[in-house]
Parts: sequence; C-alpha cells; structure tokens
Amino acid sequence: MTNTISALPGQERYVAPIEETPLRAVDAVDTDAPATSMWADAWRTLRKNPLFIIAALVILFIAFVAVFPRVFTNLDPNYCTLDNSRGAATAGHPFGFDLQGCDIYARVIYGTRTSLTVGIATTLIVILLGGIIGAIAGFFGGWIDSILSRIVDIFYAVPLLLGAIVVLQMFRSSTSIWKIILVMAMFGWVSIARIARSSVLEAKNLEFNTASTALGSTPMRNLFRHIIPNALAPVLVVGTTSLASYIVLEATLSFLGLGMPSGNVSWGGDISTAQTMLRTQPMILFYPSAALAITALAFIMLGDAVRDALDPKSRTE
Amino acid sequence: MTENTNIPEPILEVKDLQVEFNTSAGAVKAVRDATFNVYPGQWVAIVGESGSGKSTSAMSVLGLLPGTGHITGGSIKLEGKEISHYTQKQFEAIRGLKMGLVPQDPMSNLNPVYRIDTQIKEALKANNIDITREQRIKIAEGLNMTEAERIAYENVHDDSDELFLGSDKRSALLEAAKKAGEGIISDETFDTWDKEWTAGSVTRWNVRHDMVKAGIDEKKAEEIANEYVTGSSMSDRIAGLLDEAGLPDAAMRARQYPHEYSGGMRQRALIAMGLAARPRLLIADEPTSALDVTVQKRILDHLHTLTDSLGTAVLFITHDLGLAAERAQHIVVMYKGQIVESGPSLEVLQHPQHPYTKRLVAAAPSLASKRLESTKERAEVHSKQQESGHPENISDTVISVKNLVKEFKVPGRRELFKAVDDVSFDVKRGTTLAIVGESGSGKSTVANMVLHLLNPTSGTVTYEGEDIHSFNAKQLLDFRRHVQPVFQNPYGSLDPTYTIYRSIEEPLRIHKIGDQKSREARVRELLDMVEMPQSVMSRYPNELSGGQRQRIAVARAMALNPDVIVADEAVSALDVLVQDQVLHLLNDLQAERGLTYLFITHDLAVVRQIADEVVVMQHGKLVEHATTDEVFNNPQTQYTRDLLDAIPGGKLELGLD
Repeated sequence: MTNTISALPGQERYVAPIEETPLRAVDAVDTDAPATSMWADAWRTLRKNPLFIIAALVILFIAFVAVFPRVFTNLDPNYCTLDNSRGAATAGHPFGFDLQGCDIYARVIYGTRTSLTVGIATTLIVILLGGIIGAIAGFFGGWIDSILSRIVDIFYAVPLLLGAIVVLQMFRSSTSIWKIILVMAMFGWVSIARIARSSVLEAKNLEFNTASTALGSTPMRNLFRHIIPNALAPVLVVGTTSLASYIVLEATLSFLGLGMPSGNVSWGGDISTAQTMLRTQPMILFYPSAALAITALAFIMLGDAVRDALDPKSRTE
Repeated sequence: MTENTNIPEPILEVKDLQVEFNTSAGAVKAVRDATFNVYPGQWVAIVGESGSGKSTSAMSVLGLLPGTGHITGGSIKLEGKEISHYTQKQFEAIRGLKMGLVPQDPMSNLNPVYRIDTQIKEALKANNIDITREQRIKIAEGLNMTEAERIAYENVHDDSDELFLGSDKRSALLEAAKKAGEGIISDETFDTWDKEWTAGSVTRWNVRHDMVKAGIDEKKAEEIANEYVTGSSMSDRIAGLLDEAGLPDAAMRARQYPHEYSGGMRQRALIAMGLAARPRLLIADEPTSALDVTVQKRILDHLHTLTDSLGTAVLFITHDLGLAAERAQHIVVMYKGQIVESGPSLEVLQHPQHPYTKRLVAAAPSLASKRLESTKERAEVHSKQQESGHPENISDTVISVKNLVKEFKVPGRRELFKAVDDVSFDVKRGTTLAIVGESGSGKSTVANMVLHLLNPTSGTVTYEGEDIHSFNAKQLLDFRRHVQPVFQNPYGSLDPTYTIYRSIEEPLRIHKIGDQKSREARVRELLDMVEMPQSVMSRYPNELSGGQRQRIAVARAMALNPDVIVADEAVSALDVLVQDQVLHLLNDLQAERGLTYLFITHDLAVVRQIADEVVVMQHGKLVEHATTDEVFNNPQTQYTRDLLDAIPGGKLELGLD
C-alpha cells in the first residue's frame, strides 16, 4: 500500500466492484441476432422504406395494366371514327376522344404495355451487354481493357438522343417495336459498362480472391463465383434508375415521330399528336402525359430506394 | 498523507461521465460513470479493447463525439472550468489552444491536395498563433482587449518564451554567440548550438538560457538574445514545429504533399499540428498503432521529450498494455464503457485485481515471456509419432526456400526494385517458423511466393523436395491441398456474399471432395475445431467480429487437412484478448495435428508466443535466422536488437500476483 501515498488526488488505486462490471466470454458469438446478408439487409431496409412501398405498389399496378389491359377496357385503342373527334367524356369513355376520334382511356391503358416493354427490355439488354463487356474489361485488364474502354469512349462521345435519331432514320421502314429497344440499348450500354468495369476492378483486388486462388480456385471460377456477385450491386442500382429514363426516351423518340411504328399505341406518339390542341383541349394532352409521368416517377423512386438499400453510403441523413 | 503541501491542480477532471449514442435500436450507453484526472505534465493512458469506450471518453473531452453521440451526465473540467455543456463554438475556441489532438490514422487525417505547410498554417491561423499565448487565451475566453490594452499588454509582458528565432538572423546570432563565447565555450558546445538553434523552434528564452549555461555573462547573453531573436516568419515557425516533431529536413519537407511522406512522417506532421498552439493537454488517440514498432518507439520517445520540455499533459489512448505501462504514470482500464480499474500504471499492471485487467495482462503478447504452453503437448505428440514408427521417411524439411529473389517494376523508374533479395531458409515439419520484419521488408512477398501466388525472379521454393514453381496445373492443385493460407485482413479474406457454410465448404467444392452430406458434416466438424457454434453456418461474415472471422478463415484453411499453414499477419488486426485466443487455437491445432506453420508478422512479441525459429528480414534481405530463444536472448544484429528494444513494455517485469 506504500504506492498509494505517491498517487495524486483522484488518481488513487481503484478497482470496480466485480458485480457491477460482469465479465463476458471473449468474443462470444451473438446467436440470437437474425441472419443477414447484404441482400437480406437490403430487403429489410427496402421493406421499411415508404418510398419503396409506394413505388412498388404503383409499379405492380402498372405491370398488371400492361399484362391485362382488357380488364380495364374492352375497347380497341385503334378503333377510331372521326365522328367522335374531340368528343367530350361520356359513359364508357371517361377521358373522351382525341382528334382522330379514338378513345383516350383505351389508348392510355394500351400505351402502358409499350412503355413498360420498352423500358424493361432495354434495361435488361443494357445490363447484360454493358455488364459483360465491363466485367471482361475490368477482369482481364491490359490490352483487352484498353481496347474495350476505347470502344466505350467512342460510344460515350455520341449523344444518346442524336445517335438514336440518326439510326432510327435509317430504319424508318421497320415496323417492329424492337428497333427502338435495340437502338436505345446500343447507346445505353456504355454507362453500365463503365460502372461494371470499375466495380469488377474493385472486387478483383479484394483479398478473398487471393484466398480463393490459394485454395485452388481458377481465375474464371473466381470471376463467376466471387467477383461478379460482389460487383453486381452498383450495376443493379444504375440499371433500375435508368429504367425510367428509357421509358421517357421512348416517349421522346415517339414524340419526334421516330419511335413506335404506326399501329403501336404509345404515350409519346399520343402526346405528339395532342400538342396541336394544347390550347383548345389540353385534356387530350394531359392523360397520356400524366400516365407517362406517373410511370417514370414510380421507377425513379424505386431506383432511389434500391440505391439507398444497396449503398447506404449514398444516403443523406 | 495530509501534509502534502503543494498538490497541483488537475488540468483535466472527468467525473461520472456518461455518453450515449442514439441508434435505430434506441439509446446505447457508450461510456458509463467514467471518472479520471490528468495532472499537468503527466501521461495518462486509457487502455481497452475496441468498443470499450476509450476513444469515446477522450472525444467527449474534445467535444468531437461522432454522429449521434452526446453527453448525458457527469462533468468534464478543463483547468477547473466545466466544459461538458459547451457548444461547438465554445469548443472551437479552446480546441487546439488548450487541448490538442493527435488522431489515430495518419493516412486519412491529412488532406492529400494541400502541402503540409499549408495544413499546419491553417492550424496556426485557426488558433491565432501569431500572437502570444496569454492573449490567445484571453481572446478565447471572450475577454477581448482593445488595441491600446493590447499594446500596453505587449510592452509590459515578457514574451521571451514566445518569441522565436527567425531564419534570417540565425547565422548572425551564431556569429555573435561565437564572438561572445570566445575562449569560454568549446567547439562542441558551439556545434550543439548550431544544431539545436533551429529557426522557428528555439525561443529568445532558450537562447539566453543556453548561453548563460555555457558561461557567457548574463547581461551579454540577454543583449545578444534580444538583438537577434526577434520573432520568426510563419514558414520558419512551421518548419520549426515540424523539426520539433522530429521530422528531418523540416524546411524542405514542409513544402511536400502528404503522399510524399511515409506513415511515420505523417504522424510527426500531425503531432506538430496538435502541439502547434502549445496546448497544455494533448489527447493522442492510438497515435502510433498504424506504424512499425521501431518508428513507434522513435516517435513516442520524441513526443515524450517534447511534452516534458513544454510541460504538456498527455491523455493517451491505446489498446497496447505494454505501451501504456511504459509511457504513462497513471493508467485507466476500460471495459464495455466502464472503468474497471485505475491507478499508477506499474502497480495496476503488476498487481491487477479486476478479473478483466488480469485477463488483459495475461493475454498481452508484449508482456509474455515464453512460448504458449501447448508446445510441450505438441512435442509429446511429435515424439509419440516417431516412437510408434509413423511413416516419417520423407525428409524433415517440409518447405525449403533457396536464394529467393523477387524484383518488381516501379512505375517511372528504370531499375527494378528488389523486394526480396537472396533469402534462404528451411521450415521443419511440425514447427513454426516466423518471418519478422517491418513494412516493406519483403516478408509478405516471400509468403506469396511460398503460396505460389507470385513467381520468383530467381531462386526456388521446394515443397517435400519438389520445386513448386515447376508444377503443372494438376500438381499445383495437389500442392494447394497441402499448403493453405490464413490472411491478415479478417474483413477482406471472406467473401461477404457467401454464408459461413459456403465459405468453409469452398475448398472442399474446389477439390471435389465428398458429397453434399459429408461436406456438411465436415463443416460442422471444422466449426467445432475452431470453437465456433454450428449455428453460425447460415450467417454472413459481416455479422461476425474480426476474431470470429479469423477463426472461420482458420477453419477454411483446415478443411483440406493441410500439412502447412502460411499465416500472413493473421492476428495483427485483432484485439489482444482475441489475438491471444486465435494464437492459442493455432497452437493447439499444431499440437493436435502436427501442422507446420510459416508465420509472417511484424510483431516480435507474438513471435515469442508461437515460433520455434525466427527469420528477421530488413529491406528484402535476411538479416538473422536462429531459434526463438536465441533471437530473444542473444540477438546477433543491431537491427534485431532495435526491434527487440522497440517492443513496448518489453523490459517491464509484469505479471499476475
């Protein structure tokens, strides 16, 4: 006890009562906590996000409309008589008629299918094409990366809208909905490729790849089993956010008269024909525009929610 | 005890401090009823593992609690003044000036786009350092003086301890001093002055004091000091501060960017910043944890002299018990947000009373003096194997490294960089060979070549007598079955998208061993082996702590029943208790299975616990190779001696009662 004399006030020897500071086992495993993976965590975050719930409900509804338009209307959107031109809303025709005498309600309902098909198909192609090319560039590096990256740069230098206009002009005669999907995919894959390349590069340098190699794994096995699953999240985030922009772009192209071939009902096309009557009958313009805006907004909200869930760093709180 | 006449006032008094963090799961108490004092000029250490609340306690003193943290009770008194309720603005006024901070991570605490001098200048300007300390304190305390008052104050006040030597008058001062001291002082003294009178660091008072001490007439000394030490420019002062922090060529270095600095140099720059305003309290949060031991020792030695000469108190946060014992007079041990034991550091560590402190002392590698106990057991297993006529007809050397050289291309340079330079050693069956070295010594490069993850420039690595770098794909796969790695980073070496089950099963899958059912049985067996509950199988790595992940990594390495495990800094990132646990696990596995370990580490203290033989590497070269006892008791080279000296607390006799 001789040492305590030299201690300054407030610095005397102190030992906490053991009952107040119980010891726990070193590094005990918390067996009660629920299992979480990145995806399970993301799903849990999503489930609680009101933004996601609203967006998901709206999208589910839109998808239902697109798949089963007949549930909502039994009118043919392409059956138009000039007798009904600019007709007001009547029973069975809640939105009235456009200039050609087509039922606006039916056209809005059937337009859903076009917009959704174009948006989803383009996104899938873009993710696949961009993802594979980006992954190859990031994984192999060296001259393969150099060549692929320059190709990406070249496509990046062409403005999407301008490129789409030029290419679509060349295929004016084609009547397939796929021409517009392919054109948008052709200029859209580059941004995904860049993201995929950088996230593969990042995942490639993580230690678990070295660990796997030392366990006997081959580089290709590492790519498919470890690198791609770990590089997927940012690609998916950009994919979902850009879905909305493809829907809007399709409408823009259709508005410019380059989009959907005649016979296909498209919101963009309808907006285009309605613009001449903006001052006299704005409602003809309003309905397809509103449908487009709601759909695009729902997908943008979904994309935001997915980004927040998969990449908590980007959240601003 | 009562007749103590001049008991100093504590500079910092923390009483019943409570800190809470708001999380989505409600309020979490990070610090509960913490009470401790720091006296002027004293070093006080707060020791604890990660999550013990040691950093949180210190940060609440600085008003720098992260995120949702806030003080919910207790008091913090700085120089007798209650500061726990201060607003950020009030904290800004006293931070830097009254208390400085040396942060933990030198890599992320310097802005990479600014030169070092710009960053120090900012720290100086933020604290109005261009005026005297007393004025700064007055300003900080809101007693703004008028211009007239200030001038009057300056005229009366003797600021000779605040007036620095400028680089423009340095040579003139030396000349004058030489003239005045002709015949009185030796050339040696003069040389010391030449070295020590640094512009921007040495004050008028210092110069006068030095001269008087050397025998120059007091009046004359004052005259010279007053004439030549008339204040320094900002850049002189910055260079002086860096020089004080022990940075060589400070004036030139100040113009460089952080990326041109090594880790140790960055930490010195941060120390210079923390001490720029001459605070009376310096809070150092694990200031040297990211650095090599020899660098750590040099920096702390220097910080010690510096704070001693300035009379600065240091509140020192560390996880290293040895370091705390060696550096601090008073030690505070924290566990789960509470102080479990405190007192004079030697006494606490020599006679720990709380079970947690006892546990810590027992586990601290820097304080241990012998190899872990299962050695004996292992030797028995080994001799039994031989007695029972176990087929040991293969040579006793499992891995043999001969004249290994690895050269790397350095971008922008023509000559190759030799990372490993002519290294040879043998690893004997059933033993542990440790490769020790500081960062950049090439030890990990050797490990990667032994693991066949890198090809050597020249030289060979043989496994069971065969050159592994001549293997074809099939032989290589077979080699991988027998030689397994455990890596440093427990957060990086497990794929976050894999469940624990899939992670451990992966090697079995790669080598196509067993069916689904037998593989699952094997995974369960392996989890038992590393003392993890089988319920973790469905979990993901992010749910486990660093030590648990490292145990999973060991289980994965053991899945194929290897002969050799190459552990690259396998325990370096772990808390002492967890580190101790993993080391015991590795040791037990070796005892039970006769495994051979190649153990790469920078920590000589760990080596003593696990290794039979030690290879010391420096700058890619092998500098010493001997048994562990020989290296520790009779080191042959200066470098090894330096490394041993640098083990914190290595010379202290500590232990349980």
